[in-house]
Amino acid sequence: MEYKDYYQTLGVDRGATADDIKKAYRKMVRKFHPDVSKHEDADAKTKEINEAYEVLGDAEKRAAYDALGRGHHAGEQFRPPPDWSEQFDFAGAGADDFFADLFAQAGRSRRGRGFQMRGDDIHATMTIDLADAYRGATRTVTLRVPKSDGAGRATMQDKTLSVNIPRGVTPGQQLRLGGQGHEGHGGAGPGDLYLEIGFAPDPRYRVEGAHVYENVPVTPWEAALGGEVAVPTPSGTVEVTIPAGSQSGRKLRLKGKGIPATVPGDLYLILDVVLPPANSDKARAVYQAMARDLAFNPRVA
Amino acid sequence: MVANQIVTGVLIDEVALEVEELARACRVEPDWVVRHVQAGVLGESASPRFRSGDLARARRLLELERHFDADEELAALVIDLADEVRRLRARLRALGLKDA
Repeated sequence: MEYKDYYQTLGVDRGATADDIKKAYRKMVRKFHPDVSKHEDADAKTKEINEAYEVLGDAEKRAAYDALGRGHHAGEQFRPPPDWSEQFDFAGAGADDFFADLFAQAGRSRRGRGFQMRGDDIHATMTIDLADAYRGATRTVTLRVPKSDGAGRATMQDKTLSVNIPRGVTPGQQLRLGGQGHEGHGGAGPGDLYLEIGFAPDPRYRVEGAHVYENVPVTPWEAALGGEVAVPTPSGTVEVTIPAGSQSGRKLRLKGKGIPATVPGDLYLILDVVLPPANSDKARAVYQAMARDLAFNPRVA
Repeated sequence: MVANQIVTGVLIDEVALEVEELARACRVEPDWVVRHVQAGVLGESASPRFRSGDLARARRLLELERHFDADEELAALVIDLADEVRRLRARLRALGLKDA
């Protein structure tokens, strides 16, 4: 595995006090918080910072990390010595990170035999397409989980699950997959897996809860005179009546054509009036005729 | 490599979590959940059942409280403000006023 320098991540030196580490962490996590940061990789950066602090912010984990990492540099290939982690008890280390990889090997818990504990729940996110929410789908997710070999040792393994995505799911909803969390100890059952659903950005549609928005380009005459236009929607092409006298920005609501959630969302069509280019004599003549024949000045109320 | 399996989950919004289930998912004592519901910063005190939004909110509250030693009311305020920013951004995006 690749060595990760948590001190470098937080920008502190190896002799930093617990207080220095806490201060550095808080400063960084505020800077890169996905809700306020303009950085493109704010999410990834926040994850790294949190991972580093989970270890360095805990005296025992920090001691274990220090004992291991002496003389190593970020990015180096790195193999922990066998049994090095016996003196530490991090059987609960469950996060999907370098530290968890290391401590997966510490499955030989000091708590001894007979100790029973249900496995921890795992939290992960899954990105789906809007079409999946309309029709339902099966999507795969890969998790890194410690897997016990039966002899008390564990290794990190990739576990791939094909997950049935229910029709009507909306962004931020969570699916609970019973028994797909971490393994239990001493014969106790596994935890659950919670998957938070996110939507991949779509070039045509935007989603807000169960409502879906899409821009529909129309010609000036369709907007002015009204008419039927064929509009692609997530549930197939529909014929939509553009009301006469429409302007750009007008919203047409197709009730119940949003995501088919328990309370189905609506589909909003936002009209975009697009002017034909005046790039030929004929087109210019039409515009000139309009200018001459229509007494129209949009700047006069 | 563990064999690929097809699994079906349940939407938390359909089953709703009990206090103990939410506590376990957040790795806290049930008392933490009860205290936050009573303080009015998590769930609805009328029904101690929790949905997707409550689970996400509980985990964010916990992170702020732990990492910043934040008081629960302050953590809740920060999250309410962040949620409002998210809501407004989603609104802008829905109306086509902002990319991404």
